[in-house]
Amino acid sequence: MSIPTRDGARTTRAVPGARDAVFAQLADAGRAEQVARRLADAIVLGVLAPGERLPNEAELARRFGVALVTAREALGMLREAGLVETRRGRDGGSFVVHPGDADDAMLTARLRGLSQVELGDLAVYVTTIAAGCADRAAERSTPPDDERLRAWVDAADFSTPSAARRNAGGFLLELAVLSQSTRLVREQLRLQAEFGPLLWLGMRDPALRARAAAAADAIARAVAAREATAARTAVSALLSDVAAWLLGAKARIETGGTIDG
Amino acid sequence: MASTVMDAAVASAADRVSLLFLGLYDTLADWRDAILTEASGAPTPSVLDERVGALVLPPLREPDPLLIGAGFIAAPEFTGSSELHFSWWLGPLDDNPVFGATAAPSRLDLASRSYSDYLRDFASLEWYRIPSTTHRTHITGPYIDHLCACDYIVTVTSPVEAGGRMIGVVGVDVYVKRIEREVLPALLATGRRLALVNKAGRVMVSTDPAVAVGTVLPALADSTPCPGTPFRLVPTAPTAPAAR
Repeated sequence: MSIPTRDGARTTRAVPGARDAVFAQLADAGRAEQVARRLADAIVLGVLAPGERLPNEAELARRFGVALVTAREALGMLREAGLVETRRGRDGGSFVVHPGDADDAMLTARLRGLSQVELGDLAVYVTTIAAGCADRAAERSTPPDDERLRAWVDAADFSTPSAARRNAGGFLLELAVLSQSTRLVREQLRLQAEFGPLLWLGMRDPALRARAAAAADAIARAVAAREATAARTAVSALLSDVAAWLLGAKARIETGGTIDG
Repeated sequence: MASTVMDAAVASAADRVSLLFLGLYDTLADWRDAILTEASGAPTPSVLDERVGALVLPPLREPDPLLIGAGFIAAPEFTGSSELHFSWWLGPLDDNPVFGATAAPSRLDLASRSYSDYLRDFASLEWYRIPSTTHRTHITGPYIDHLCACDYIVTVTSPVEAGGRMIGVVGVDVYVKRIEREVLPALLATGRRLALVNKAGRVMVSTDPAVAVGTVLPALADSTPCPGTPFRLVPTAPTAPAAR
């Protein structure tokens, strides 16, 4: 299977749903700070890529559900933080600047801000939904579905953090689609949008990426073999692995280390 | 004697299914002809959108529309682009936890479906690939389409060909729940336990409480084809217990 891209080089290849979550509406006070923080997180996590043009002020205001002046203020904060630069002219706009060593500091703060119990509970929920999808997919997939899933897995790239994040999330969504359950698909989309960037943080670890690729392969085989228990077990094992990585990174941070060790 | 009457009821139910889809084929043929009539040179995407919108928006705006999505997906060569162009509209969506509810038809905005990046290549998807290789109208589904309505749907696509080349596909999306409303009375009128299945045996509508929509039934000899469609009516009881 060839891998044509449907978007240009400037467009971010983000984790599924992450971009949508970036622009989901906000409700509370301190809105400019919230807008700035959401975008800063996305830039640091690589959801928005260096060089990418952000939506204009009016579009940002619409998508976040804030006033134009608030969107403008947020962009100003990002400029000050050195995360975006604004260019004038016909091809102008606000562009994502490659964040420097500030990345890890921000990610560290983010992981520190979540408790173990919150991370653990998130893992339980994500695993339950995904395992349920795998279970039903194994029961309801047809030979053409199996072939399609196989072709997708064979061509799926887990070689870089961003590709692995996108494809790991995409794989779980594909399992949901095979379950034939609209509710499971919608829930999987919502989960990936809300927690994808955090959940797949461990894809920066090459060993975990390799295990995720192997897991996708094993799950696709179990689905094609109509082995619901094997599919469910493999999905649960993958997500346990991913959760353990997050908890491990948090523990390293708490004891004065870095995310990666 | 009674069996003949029941067989007639089954044939009538199969005809009801056929009628529904033949109507969709007619719609697609009209749109295809309209696009071909105006297809001179490579239209810009915005010109194409205007033309296609004029064709597909009226049925999407009908009260209680049969269609939940409709449009034309242009081959890259037709618009002189490097990728497929979606001149595609969604009907009003009921409360949809993923994309929100809409009161009027909306243009499909793929930028808001960026999670679908993992799909890599839309041209490899069934609703585009099959008509492009068979040169015939194709029915995809039932399946969950997370690009558009994010619901359980059936997609019907027809190739639009000019000068021996496919310039794109015209298509319609219909909710499975809407198909159920259209054909279930005829299925129930048979007085039998049976299921409407696609070519792969996937259940779309069922009169058997033990046979759930979305499950797959094994191939059975005594099924009744719905002429002009890939669908069949399959008896599920008592000779053919539900696949569990």
